[in-house]
Parts: sequence; structure tokens; C-alpha cells
Amino acid sequence: MSVMIAAFMRGVTRLNDLIGRWVALLIFAMFAFLLLEVGFRYLFNSPTVWTNELTQMLFGIYAVMSGGYIMAHRGHVNVDLLHSHLKPRKRAALDIVTSSVFFIFTLALLWFGIDMARESMASWETSYSAWNPPIWPVKLAIPIGTALLVLQGLVKLLEDIAVAFNLSYYTPEESRSEGDQL
Amino acid sequence: MSIEALTLLFFGALLFFLLLGLPLAFVLGGVSVVFLYFTWGFDSFYMVASQIWGTMESFTLVAIPLFVFMAMILERTGVARDLYRMMHLWCGGLRGGLALGTLGICAVFAAMVGISGAAVVAMGTIALPSMLERGYDKNMALGVINTGGGWGILIPPSILMILYALITGVSVGQMFAAGIMPGILLMVLTAIYIIVRCHLQPELAPALPKEERGTWPEKFRALRAVLLPIGVVVMVLGSIIGGITTPTEAAAMGVLGALISAAVYRELKWSILKEAAIRTFKLTGMIMWILFAAHAFSAAYQSMGAQELIEGLMNMVPGGPWGIIIAMMVIVFLLAMVLDPVGIMLITLPVFMPIVESLGFDPIWFGILFVINMEIGYMTPPFGFNLFYLKGIVPPSITMKDIYKSIIPFVIVEIVGIILIMIFPEIATWLPDLLF
Repeated sequence: MSVMIAAFMRGVTRLNDLIGRWVALLIFAMFAFLLLEVGFRYLFNSPTVWTNELTQMLFGIYAVMSGGYIMAHRGHVNVDLLHSHLKPRKRAALDIVTSSVFFIFTLALLWFGIDMARESMASWETSYSAWNPPIWPVKLAIPIGTALLVLQGLVKLLEDIAVAFNLSYYTPEESRSEGDQL
Repeated sequence: MSIEALTLLFFGALLFFLLLGLPLAFVLGGVSVVFLYFTWGFDSFYMVASQIWGTMESFTLVAIPLFVFMAMILERTGVARDLYRMMHLWCGGLRGGLALGTLGICAVFAAMVGISGAAVVAMGTIALPSMLERGYDKNMALGVINTGGGWGILIPPSILMILYALITGVSVGQMFAAGIMPGILLMVLTAIYIIVRCHLQPELAPALPKEERGTWPEKFRALRAVLLPIGVVVMVLGSIIGGITTPTEAAAMGVLGALISAAVYRELKWSILKEAAIRTFKLTGMIMWILFAAHAFSAAYQSMGAQELIEGLMNMVPGGPWGIIIAMMVIVFLLAMVLDPVGIMLITLPVFMPIVESLGFDPIWFGILFVINMEIGYMTPPFGFNLFYLKGIVPPSITMKDIYKSIIPFVIVEIVGIILIMIFPEIATWLPDLLF
């Protein structure tokens, strides 16, 4: 049982890490498309209809997919006034309690994100702009990105349970060697 | 339940979970979901998802990752390091010289970026390590970056001013012009504070020992370090002012400038670019998830009747016209700590603007006070978003407590600034009257 939990935790963290590393490269695409638009408009006098909208869609995916990766790297910023005064076990116990608020938010978002994506895919929704691209893939990114965040939140919860109750499936040291500092 | 009681509970719950150490994004999001459930029921959660979709669709926000990416490249390739070396050679003899230089760079950066979050992150990346390395007190260094980065929304171009102009119907150009003098005023006030404070307590911001200050030839050689950053500024500002690009596209021009600088330094390597991209992703994602949740929070608060609350408050204010203006400032300041700018404007402006105009005040002048108040709200503990953005980039040795402590004197300086602008409205209205 504890082997399976540990494997699940490692698996989710690796998955988020892998996805994050690839999605992070979208910045190059956004940069290139915007530059291309400026170039087309001024050098060739022929503005495009698609570059700005495509950049905006990429940005939406980029932003919403970041949640899990940042969670895995402890990048969501909090107030550590109380945290820094607590011993690890007490801190973990506190985090277990506050994680309820995290799950209320992310699960509500997941539920209605799926709703919204399903609606959008039912009609293969497009943006109705001059270019009129399909926008359902971007809407689909909301539940996917949120699901990744929920999974990583679950990993964090399992870690905290292990620390608070001294369980054997996870030791804080092993994660430190895997994760890197921001 | 009445909206007054709901407001107290709402903000109390925020403060409670924030102090328990849950990240700001999840506190904002989770508390809004709970309150939506009790006011409108389960189906209202759809609003949370649609608010996130609305945030993802905003083209102006695309500028955030690009400006952050630009700063990361400049920092990693040594451009920023040389810029600071130059400033140290020139201002090193002065106590607090580097902090003053940082203020200047912040103002220039604010002129490139219209969003304060991107400016704080960028300046923190470039300026903070340089100041700490040279023995500056961390409170001094953090405070300077937070206050200077916040000017992004006051010094044009400014996304907030565009929004204000859209909602109230004043001209964007006049708003931009009106922001310049108050921006300079705040810069001068902050500079005076730094000079006086560092004169009294030299250990906060040590001057360089005489033998390290460099000779004149050295000083002039170091000036070369300014050329590349100035080139980047010209590319960004030039493309906005020249009408060549939108502010978002100008951010891409900034990245191009940073890449050219990297090439000049022979540091245009894949490993550096990739690392910059990943750090950009982490910081942008952190900012965006806070914004996602803040949008949901604004929508929730608005749907619970925030507007009626503010209307009710306005009817109770004593002290005549000035009492009303001051009450409005306090409300904007308080809201700016927890809501996103669009939310604040949608809740307050429809109530405020008719009152402001019927009292005979200038809407442009009021807009400037509005924007400065929002900026102060962004940097005021415990919720101010900029404090969290800064926390995202500082080394682990700096805690949130340090950041909270560092900001207090700078908030006071800004409040002095806003009082001056209230007493002498000409500071804001002189330039737009001259130009338009």
C-alpha cells in the first residue's frame, strides 16, 4: 500500500514537471508570433488576422496549465508569519486543515470547468472573430490544468499526512533532492 | 444576512486563512466559492470558471510573461550586473546611491510596463541581488523595489488608466499626461526619504570606500553598460510612442532587445534561454493564478451586493465634499488589497463618478488619486499583491515578515504624496491642461 502511495506521489510530480517544462517553452512561440505581426504590418504592410489571437490563446493555455507545476515547486506564494514559527509536524497538521479551502476552490473549478469545456466541445465552439479559430481546445485546458493542480494538491496533502503522523511512505528528505529551488 | 455582516465575514475569512499559511491564490478562490454557495447556491460556481476564462482571454495580460522574460534574460546574461556596476561607480560615493539609482531604473521600467506586477518581478530580479551583494539593508532594498515597481500603473502607459478612461468617459491621453507629474513627485519624495534616512543611518546603505570608487576613465568605460539597456528602453518605448505597436507587442520588442543584448555579451545560449523560460513560467503562473482567483473574488463580492454597501456608506459620510473624497480614497485603498483592478472599478466607479462630478471635482484629478490609491493598496500588508509577487523572487532567507516590515515607511511617503496632490490639484491637472 505505502509503495503504491509513494509511486503515485512520484508519478504526479514527474508528470507535472514534464508538462511544465514543455509548456514553459510556449513563451518562445508567443514572442515569435507577436514579433511576426509587427514585422508583417510594418515591413510588408500586410497585417495578419491570426497572430494576436493565436498568441492570446497560447497565453491562456500557458497560464492555466502552470498551476500544478508551480505547486510541485512550492511556487504559490503564501504568508509565512505563522509557518516560520512552527515545527514541521505542527505545520503539516495546519496545512492539512487549510487544504480544505484549497480543495473547495479547485474542485468547484474542476467541476464547472468540465461543464464549460463540454458545452464548448458540443458545438465545436469558435471565437467568431475575423479569423474564427476553434476555441474549445483553450476551454478544455481549464479542466486539464485544474486537474493537474488538484492531483499535485493531493500529493501535498499526502506529504503533510505522512509528516504529521510519522508515516513511512514519505520522508521529507527525498523530495528535497528531487525538487529544485525557484 | 446583511451585506455589512457578509463583508466583515468575507474579509475576516480571507485574513484568517492567509495567516494560517495557505497560498493567496487558494485563499481568494476558496473563500469566494464558500460565500457564493451560501448566497447563490451551487450553480453560481459556474461564475468562477467563467471568470477564469475571462482572465485567460485578456490580450493585455500577455505582456506579463514577455516583460518577465525580458528581465530574466537581462539578469542572466550579465547586462543587469554591469548596469549596477556602473551605477555603483558613479553613485557609490553617496550613501544610498544604489537605492536612488534603482528608483530611477524603476521609473524608466514603469514607463515601459503598464502593469505593476511585471515591474515588481522584473526589478526584484535585477536590482535586489545587486543591492544585497553590496551590503544594503534588506528592508531598504525590498522597500525601494516594491515602491518603485508599483509606479508601473501611475507612469504612462498604464492599463489601469485605460480602464478608468473607458468606464468614466474621460480621455486616455489626458489621463496619461496627468500621471506624469504625480509620478515625478512620488519619485522625488521617495528619493528625499532615502537620502535623509541613509544620511542618518549610513549602515543601511553603505557608501563605497574611497579606493573602490574607481577613477574617471573607469567611470566612463563603465558607462558603456548603459548603452544596451537604453537600447532596450528605446525599442519598447519607441514602439509604443511611435504608434508602431500595442503595449503587448512592445513587450515582444523588449524581449528582442534583451536577446540582442545577450548576443552582444556572447551569452545567447540555449541553456540560459531555457532557464529564463522556466523561471518566467513559474513567476507568470504564480501571478496568473492570483489574478484568476482575484477575478472570481471580485465577481463574488459584486454579486453579493458590494455596490449597495458602498452607496450606503457614501450617504453616511460626514465632513462635506472633502470628507466624501477622503472616504472614497479609503474605500479604494482597502479594496485594492484584495480585488483586481477591473473589479474595483466596476464596483466603485458607477457609485463614485456621479458624486464626484456633482461636487464639482475634476474627474481626471480624481482618476489620478484613484490610481495612486490602488498602487498603495497593492503594496500594503497583509494582502497587497505586489508583496506576494516580490516574495516569489526573493531568496529563501527573506521572509514575508521582512517584506511586510520593509514597506511601512514607503507607504507613508506615498500617502504624503497623495495628500499633496489633494491639496494642490494642479500637480495632476497642470500638464493635461497645458497639452489638451
